[in-house]
Amino acid sequence: MTPKPVISVRGLTMGFGELVIMRDLDFDIEAGEIFVILGGSGCGKSTLLKHLVGLYKPMSGAITIAGLSLDPDNEDSFKKILARIGVMYQGGALFSSMTLGENVALPITEYSDLKESAVEELVRLKLRQVGLEGFEHHLPEELSGGMKKRAAIARALALNPEILFLDEPSAGLDPISSAELDMLILRLNRTLGTTFVVVTHELSSIFTIAKRIVMLDKESKSIIADGNPHELKEASEHPFVRQFFNRQPEMEK
Amino acid sequence: MHNDHATTPSPTLFVDSKPELLTLGLRGILDLRTTPGIMESLAHLPKPLPGLIHADLSGITRMDDCGALVILQLRRMAEKHGSTLEMLGTPGHVQELLDFLRLDDPPRSGGSKRTRPGIMTRFGIKTIEVTSQAMTHVSFVGEVTVTLLSLLRHPGRLRLGDVVLYMQRVGVDALPIVGLISFLLGLIMAFMSAVQLQQFGANIYVASLVALAMVRELGPIMTAILVAGRSGSAFAAEIGTMKVSEEVDALITMGFKPAMFLVAPKIIASLLVVPLLAMYSNLFAIAGGLLIGVTTLDLTVNAYMAQTMNTLTIFDINWGLFKSAIFAVLIATVGCFKGYQVRGGAASVGQATTSAVVTGIFLVILVDSVLAVILRYWRP
Repeated sequence: MTPKPVISVRGLTMGFGELVIMRDLDFDIEAGEIFVILGGSGCGKSTLLKHLVGLYKPMSGAITIAGLSLDPDNEDSFKKILARIGVMYQGGALFSSMTLGENVALPITEYSDLKESAVEELVRLKLRQVGLEGFEHHLPEELSGGMKKRAAIARALALNPEILFLDEPSAGLDPISSAELDMLILRLNRTLGTTFVVVTHELSSIFTIAKRIVMLDKESKSIIADGNPHELKEASEHPFVRQFFNRQPEMEK
Repeated sequence: MHNDHATTPSPTLFVDSKPELLTLGLRGILDLRTTPGIMESLAHLPKPLPGLIHADLSGITRMDDCGALVILQLRRMAEKHGSTLEMLGTPGHVQELLDFLRLDDPPRSGGSKRTRPGIMTRFGIKTIEVTSQAMTHVSFVGEVTVTLLSLLRHPGRLRLGDVVLYMQRVGVDALPIVGLISFLLGLIMAFMSAVQLQQFGANIYVASLVALAMVRELGPIMTAILVAGRSGSAFAAEIGTMKVSEEVDALITMGFKPAMFLVAPKIIASLLVVPLLAMYSNLFAIAGGLLIGVTTLDLTVNAYMAQTMNTLTIFDINWGLFKSAIFAVLIATVGCFKGYQVRGGAASVGQATTSAVVTGIFLVILVDSVLAVILRYWRP
């Protein structure tokens, strides 16, 4: 069986106004893959993620998700795509006026027929998965940064979407929570076949979860590496890629 | 609204009920889409349940944490009716999920639910809030006063660029709306009073009425209300958002005094431009009155302007400017203060903004009334 791409990007050029950030990106993400987007700071990883979920419009090129063309102006198809994806934002983006439980319950009550008691139970299970059980009635402002991050993941998981986009999920987490998060990602990927698109810097996390990475480069405005991180670490022809994976500083000249 | 898997059969719950044994077969996909229906059918099983329940899970092709709710419900039902629940043929992936979710663990208490406290409690909370707010209010006003006084000795500490920026935002940017509203206000005043004054042949006093009412009262007040709506709210929102995103904390740890850095430029800029705005507002209102006077009251431009000049004294104009200056300080201070009180997130910023406008306008009207009384008795 040939794996079929669940997201395909063709000739994507992104930027703001006159400024081009990335030019002519082409890549496919296969169903059930854990796909990691890498790159130095400020190279446009988060921008690429926002293009993939339809928040930003590409300057040119096309993105297809699950066979549907991503076009935020086409309400019908965009809604169908949104039903299949979940997004966790860098800063958490929890609604500050709602408790954690309400934040997670919001999409569940909106898009399912579960009874109130069942929703409550499900929210508890979601929070248990990210290690936040017992914090249902806390407001986001009462949580630490790492807890907010985990709560945001629980909310992104609420509807068990086919594709999950995570923007720096483990930044700011302690090593234990970060490892637990990796386990959670792997388990969801294995048991539910969820496709993950992750932006992260954590090397240990990349080597644990990533089946495939792409590395964006600011200078050439393109992808300079695409493949398995373990192989790229040893054998990439790009010195920057090897440097990145081996955590070496910029060479002194 | 979950994914549509066209190839998979729809999930079903098979029930085989015998007097001593209830067999339940779960098949297919158990997810957010299918679970509500299954839970509904389980809840409507004929009661009482027999002593032994067999749950056959072997047919489950895919189950997520939502599907686990079904297992939880089965356990609860069995417990309630004193039956024994046996799960048969649990597939590997289901077992893995159940292990991961630790369904056997009792729910950890989620702290107390946020419920609306009783009326007495709320009364108490509000009272404490108001008293403690009075304290912070006093200390804020004190801090701002000290900061402003210290500027007299060290004027170089003022961030002049910010002052100019806020002068533009509070003053220049408000010119169109203040001009328009004042012009219409003068127009309406003249129009309405003309009907009455015409009966006595006192057409010319329309000019006096518009000029005196605007310069002494309405000009400063209208301007203050507009500034509170435009700029008082903006100050609160700006400082409030800075507070939420830890920018105020950053200022403090960098050794800046927020009162000097954030508050002083706003107050000084408002103090400088709001009286000018009020003057400008008077001008437009008189122009509005003039238009009505000339078009409907058969007055000449000369006569109207001469009457206006005769009515107004230099004291009236100074008094209006003085009031505007006080209003400006009130609005800017309240705006900044409300911004400072923001805690938490977006909702709190919204409340602070509303409160800045409401409190600002209230204080303006209150102070205006007090000044009117003072003027009545102490005017030389």
